[in-house]
Amino acid sequence: MNHLRWLMREWRGGELALLLVSLVLAVTIVSGVAGFADRLQRGIVGESHKFLAADLVLKTPRTLPDSALDKLPSVVERALVVEFRSMVVAANAMELASIKAVSDSYPLRGELTVSETPFGAAQTTLEVPASGRAWLDSRLFPLLGLEVGDELQLGELTLIAERALLTEPDRGTSFYGMGPRVLINAADVARSGVVQAGSLVDYRYLFAGTEEQLQAVKTSLQPELTASERWQGLDDSQPQIAKTLQRAERFLLLAGSFGVALAGVAVALAARRYSQRHLDTVAVMKALGAGSRQVTSLYVGNILLLAILATLLGWVLGLGVQNALFAMIRDLVGFSPPAGTLRPLLAGAITALLCVVSFALPPVLRLRSVPPLRVLRRDLGNESLSSGVSAFAGIGGLFLLMLWYTGSIELVLAVLVGVSAILGLAGILVLRLFSAMRGWAQGAGGVLKLALSAMVRRRQANAFQVVSLALALMVLLCIIAARSSLMKEWQLQLPADTPNHFLINIAPEQVGPVNDWFERQGIDSAGVFPMVRGRLVTIDGRDVQEIPEIEANRGSVNREINLSWSDELPGDNRLTAGQWWPDASASLPRVSVEDEFAERLGIAVGTKLGFRIGGLPLEAEVTSLRSLSWDSMRPNFFLLFEPGVLDSYPSSSITSFYLDATDKVLLNDLLRQFPTITLIEMDAVIRQARTVVEQVSAALELVLVLIIGCALLVGVANIQASLDSRLHENAILRTLGASRQLIRTCLLAEFAMIGLVAGLLAGVGAELCLYLIQTRLLDMSASWHPLFWVVSPLGAAFVVAVSGWWFCREVIVAPPLQVLRRL
Amino acid sequence: MIHAENVSKRVQVADSELCILKGTSLEIKRGESVAIIGPSGSGKSTLLGLLAGLDEPTDGDIWLAGEHLNALDEDGRAALRLKLVGFVFQSFQLLPGLTALENVMLPLELRGDRRAAKVARDYLERVGLAHRLDHYPRQLSGGEQQRVALARAFAPQPDILFADEPTGNLDAETGASVNDLLFSLNAQSGTTLVLVTHEPILARRCARRITLSAGEIVEDSGEVVPA
Repeated sequence: MNHLRWLMREWRGGELALLLVSLVLAVTIVSGVAGFADRLQRGIVGESHKFLAADLVLKTPRTLPDSALDKLPSVVERALVVEFRSMVVAANAMELASIKAVSDSYPLRGELTVSETPFGAAQTTLEVPASGRAWLDSRLFPLLGLEVGDELQLGELTLIAERALLTEPDRGTSFYGMGPRVLINAADVARSGVVQAGSLVDYRYLFAGTEEQLQAVKTSLQPELTASERWQGLDDSQPQIAKTLQRAERFLLLAGSFGVALAGVAVALAARRYSQRHLDTVAVMKALGAGSRQVTSLYVGNILLLAILATLLGWVLGLGVQNALFAMIRDLVGFSPPAGTLRPLLAGAITALLCVVSFALPPVLRLRSVPPLRVLRRDLGNESLSSGVSAFAGIGGLFLLMLWYTGSIELVLAVLVGVSAILGLAGILVLRLFSAMRGWAQGAGGVLKLALSAMVRRRQANAFQVVSLALALMVLLCIIAARSSLMKEWQLQLPADTPNHFLINIAPEQVGPVNDWFERQGIDSAGVFPMVRGRLVTIDGRDVQEIPEIEANRGSVNREINLSWSDELPGDNRLTAGQWWPDASASLPRVSVEDEFAERLGIAVGTKLGFRIGGLPLEAEVTSLRSLSWDSMRPNFFLLFEPGVLDSYPSSSITSFYLDATDKVLLNDLLRQFPTITLIEMDAVIRQARTVVEQVSAALELVLVLIIGCALLVGVANIQASLDSRLHENAILRTLGASRQLIRTCLLAEFAMIGLVAGLLAGVGAELCLYLIQTRLLDMSASWHPLFWVVSPLGAAFVVAVSGWWFCREVIVAPPLQVLRRL
Repeated sequence: MIHAENVSKRVQVADSELCILKGTSLEIKRGESVAIIGPSGSGKSTLLGLLAGLDEPTDGDIWLAGEHLNALDEDGRAALRLKLVGFVFQSFQLLPGLTALENVMLPLELRGDRRAAKVARDYLERVGLAHRLDHYPRQLSGGEQQRVALARAFAPQPDILFADEPTGNLDAETGASVNDLLFSLNAQSGTTLVLVTHEPILARRCARRITLSAGEIVEDSGEVVPA
C-alpha cells in the first residue's frame, strides 16, 4: 500500500495534526532557539571582543623582538597599542595625560567614536590619528585651553589636536587608562622621546583570527614570554561580562532543553492518543488479512514521513524564529547577527528523529500486537499501549535529547532528579488521593459526587494527566524563576547609580575639601577610604620570594598592595572565617584578609604577615577572612587593618561616586581644584556591560514565550488524550437525562481538581529543581518561592478547568447521539 | 472448506477458568451457507472467531481451505484471511477516517490490487451507494454503513464470508434489506457463508443451521445444499 496515500488518509482522521505540531515545535525550538542562541552568542562574544579591541591580547612591559613576530601566521590580524602617562603641554597649560599610541590597524574589533568638536556629536570611525595628529578627550580641550587645530607638545613631538575622542573599545582594560586620554599614532612614540629605558610603559599586542589561528599565535610566542607577560582573552578582561554571558548561555540551553523536553512530552501524548484511536483500525485491517509487518510498515512509515515533514516545516519556522527574534531585538543588540550555521538545522533533524524514536514509535509500534479478535471483542488489545516500555523509552530519549542538546550531564541530572521526584511524588500522592476520593464520593452529593466518581473511574488516565501537566508546569515555573533571579542578580550587580568614577591619591588634607565639593555638587560618594601602599614580604616568617607554593600567584606579592583600615566591617563585605576585631587583646596588630587573596597565598586565620611600608617593617596577625564583591564599583581592599595600626605611615585616600554623563563637565572643575588627584572614569565600561545585560535579557524573554507555547501544547495534548472517554461518558450521561448545566459544572470541577493537584505537585517539583539549578548550575544562592505554592495550584486549576471545558464543550453543545456515533 | 475437530476454548476469568466452547467438531462444505444460532453467551462469536483464524483454540484443530490453522502463526493466518476471507460485523467496523470508497478499497489495497478503486466503485454501485462514494462513515446511516461493509466484504471476492450478527444494529426494515443484499451478493459470488445470528428469520435463510448452547453443538440441521 502506498505510504504517502496512507498518510494523507490518516491525516484526515485529525490525530496526526497534534503529533505534527508537537514535532514541528521541537524542531523549531532546536533549530530556531539553538540557532538564535548560537548566533546571538557569537554576536555577543564578537561584541565583547570589542572590549579588548581584539580576540586575543598579549600584555607586556616591553616590545617583542621582530624575529618572534615574523614567525606568526600571516593570516592573523595584528595591531599594537602602547600606553603610558606623560605631561602634554599647550601654550598656556599642561596636564598629566594618559597617552595611547596605536598602529594603523587598530582596533581589530569594535570602533572608535569621535566628534569633530569637543563634546560634539558622536560619529564612529575605524581610522586612527595620522602621524603628527592627536585625538583628545573632550575634557582636555578646555583644561589645556585648546581649540581643534591647535598645537600641543608631547615630549619633543609637536602634535595637532585634530578631533575629540569620545570612546575607545578597550578603554578601561589598563591602569594607564586613567586620566584624560590622548590618542596618537604608534609611529610617533619614538619621535616624542618620552619613552626611555625604564619608563613605565604598557605594550599590548592585539590579535584577531579564528580559534586555531589564535592558538597558533599563543604557541608560537609562548617560548619568548616571561612571567610578567600575560595573555588576555574575554574572560580576563571583563570577568563580569564573561560571567553574564556564561549564565545567559546556560539559561538559554536550559530553557531550550526544557522546551524540547516539553515538546517530547507533547509528542508522546499525541502518539499515545493516535495509537489509542487506531486500535480498531488495526484490528479491522488484521481481520481483513494485514500481517503485523504490513501494519508496522504502514504506521512506522506514517510516523517517519511525518517526522520528515515536521523537520522541513521546523527548519523553515526555525529560521523564521531566528530572524524574527533578531528583528525584534535589532535596536538592542546593536550589531548585525552573524550568519547561521548548518549545525542547528542538523540538530533539529536529529531532535525530530530522537523524538519520534523515543516518544512516538513505542506506542505506535505496539499497534502491531493488537489482536484481530478485537473486531469481535473490543476489550482486547487495550493493554498493549499501557506499557512501561513506552515510559522507559520516553525517559531514556529525554535524557539523551537533553544531554546531547546541553552537553551538560549536571544540568540533565538536575532536571531528571526533579522529574523523577515529581513522578514519584505524583504516583504516591495521586493514588492516595484517588483512594480517598472513593470515600469522599460516597459521602458527597450532587455535582461533587459525579466529579469525584469520574476522577476515580479514570484514575489511571487522570494520574497520567496530572503527572504530565505537573511536569509542564514545573518546567515553566523553573524557567520563570531562574530567569527572574538571573535578571534580579544582574540588576543587583549593576544598579542604575553604580559608582562610575574613582578618585585616588587624595591627600589627607584634601579629604575634607573633596567631601565639601561632593556636597556642593549634590553627589553621593561611596565614602572616602584611607589607603597606604605597602608590600607583603613574609608569611609566617617565611620570605614570600622563597615560598614555592605561591609560585603561580607571585603577581599578588610582587607589587605594592593597597592597605586600609576600618573600625566597621564595610557594608558589602561578609566574614567567612574568624572574628571582626575580637575583643581579646592581641600581641600583634590585627588584619583582615579578602578570602580569595588568602586562598591564593595559603593564608588562614592566625597566619602572621610581614609588610614593608615605605621602607618600614610591620607585622600583623590575621584575625578574619572576608568575601567581597569587586563588581560593586566601590573601593575595596584585600587587606584591612584595625584602626590606628597604619596611622604613622604616609597615606592617601580613595573614593568612588556616580556621575551622570550629562554632568561630566563637572569633572573639569574638580580636577582644576584638585590637580594632584587622579580621576579614573569607569562609566564607559559600565555602560558597555549594561548593554550586554540588556541584550541578553531581551533574548531570554523571547525564548520564554516559546517555552510557554510548548507548555500550552502539552496542556492541549493532555486534555485531548482523555477527550474521547470524557465525551463518551458525558454523552451517555446526557442521554440519561443529565442537564447541560450539570455536565458543565461536573467537567469544570473534574478539570479544576486535576489542575489543582498538578499545580501543587509542580510547585514542589519546581522548588526542588530550582534549588539544584541555582546552587549547582547557575552558581547563585538558593531562594524559596512561596508564591509558587499558591499561584501554581490556583492558576493551574483555573487554566485547566477553562481549557478542559473548551475542548469538551462539544458534549455540552452537540446532541448526544451525534457524539456517540462519532466515537 | 472448513473443518473443525474437537475444538475447545477456555479463558481465565479472575481465579477460575471459563469454558466457552467444549470439544466442538464440524465440517462446512464449499458454497454452503451456515447459520450459527443460540442464546447469548452460548459461544457463537467465539466459534466464528476461531473458524476465521482470528483466535486460537485451547484444544482441537481447525482447517481452513485445507490449511491447518494451528500450524500457522498470526501473520500466517492473516495471509490466509487476506486470500480467502471476508467479514461483515455487527458494528460495521468501517474506518472512520476513510471515505466509503476508501473503506471498500482497503482489503483490495492490502492485496496490492491495482484495480482497487475501480472494483470498489463497482461494488458500491451494486449495493446502491454510487452516490455516496466520498462520504465518511459518520455521514452515513446505519443501513448505509452496513451496505458499505457488505461491499468491502465481497469486493475481494473471498471464498468464505464470515458475518457476525450483520443486522444486529439495524431496525427490522433496514435489517431485512441488508439481508436481502447479503444473500443476493452471496448467491452471485458462490461464497461459503458462515453467519452468526440471533434472528430465526435470518437463520432460516441459510441452508444449514447449527445451534449452540453452553459451548456445545446441540443441533445441526446437517442439510447440505449448495447455495
